[in-house]
Amino acid sequence: MVNRRSREEKVLRSEEDLNRAMEAYADMVRRICFLHLKNKFDTEDVFQNVYMKYLLYEKGFDSAEHERAWFARVAINACTDHLRLLSRRKWVPLDVIEEESRILDDTSSEVLEAVLSLPEKYRNVIYLYYYEEYPAVEIARILGRKENTVYSWLSRARELLRERIGGEWA
Amino acid sequence: MNRIRESMENIRASEELKQHTLEYLKHKRHRARAKRIRGYVLAAACLCLCIFTDGYILYARPTSYISIDVNPSVELGINRFGRVVEAEAYNEEGKTLLEQAALKHKPYLKAIGRLLEEESGSGYLTEDARVFITVISDKWETILEEIRADELSGKYGAQTYTSNLACRQEAHSQEMSFGKYRAYLELSRYDESLTVEACHGMSMGELEDRIETCRRHQDGTKEGEEHQRRERKKLRGGHEGHGKHHGHGH
Repeated sequence: MVNRRSREEKVLRSEEDLNRAMEAYADMVRRICFLHLKNKFDTEDVFQNVYMKYLLYEKGFDSAEHERAWFARVAINACTDHLRLLSRRKWVPLDVIEEESRILDDTSSEVLEAVLSLPEKYRNVIYLYYYEEYPAVEIARILGRKENTVYSWLSRARELLRERIGGEWA
Repeated sequence: MNRIRESMENIRASEELKQHTLEYLKHKRHRARAKRIRGYVLAAACLCLCIFTDGYILYARPTSYISIDVNPSVELGINRFGRVVEAEAYNEEGKTLLEQAALKHKPYLKAIGRLLEEESGSGYLTEDARVFITVISDKWETILEEIRADELSGKYGAQTYTSNLACRQEAHSQEMSFGKYRAYLELSRYDESLTVEACHGMSMGELEDRIETCRRHQDGTKEGEEHQRRERKKLRGGHEGHGKHHGHGH
């Protein structure tokens, strides 16, 4: 019974743990959702899904950095899965289309729109590299790709951004 | 600060989104806990059911059988704890008796005593009636000893025998108790023309009388032959050892 209980505690993370993770990573998860999803319902779905995975995640983390990288990876994968699910859906509610774009103000919209117009894989590397400031080797680990692939994606993404908004964005 | 970072600075998780998510997780956690508790309860219930079922099967399964035959023929199934778990009648009188006497779950000695008392009260156990108790069991010696030592069985002069499961099966195919069937088998050794149907109409007293008559007749014949043989030897002046056998019911 004691073993079962300790297992139970291990399986479901404590409320304190959840509150801490919410404060620490909510903004990052939200930004990743923003990069991929078009409306707040999808964002809420994926956001909850990421924290649900955290609630059920049995293994521990070596450090806060390790935990942060886990959240980034899980959020990116959750968005990809959700988009795959949406692509099978035959219809989209009219009132939620492009809702996310409303939160952009004029000053930031140009850069953001350029980032959002990039293919999905480039959006991820640009965000992780320029916003989260992860090195290429860490991005490779998060995305489950080779380091060289990350470098070539970064290079191609920079090229595309330069074409769209000129050279002064980084 | 690079422009990309700057452009995303304002994108933050709203308090509403955080609270919704925390509430959703709280709900999920409660559901998971409730589900787990339901699982434990279900597992405990299954375990109890298994223990109860196994225990009941252990209790309800007869390991020994006792056939009590006077004229009414009744068979009792006895479980490993020495209690009656089955009671079957093999003639009309037996059925009437079982309706009157509640034997189930009683220790077998008490059940036999109760049955004999009931038979006595119903007029089956007259002075010339005889009681036959036949046992099938791995522990037949113990059971027979206990029956022989029992006051009521002694009072009615019960004769005891043993049988086996194969005979019980044969007996049932002839709709007869294995106690009576044992007597039939014994009598049929002396009288090959005897049929099971004929035995159905006889009481145990009648069957046993005929067995004894046949046995005496055969012993008498043997003794006569032996006497003649000894006489012939005497005439020849020879000598031979003398042995004595006791026949016994098995």
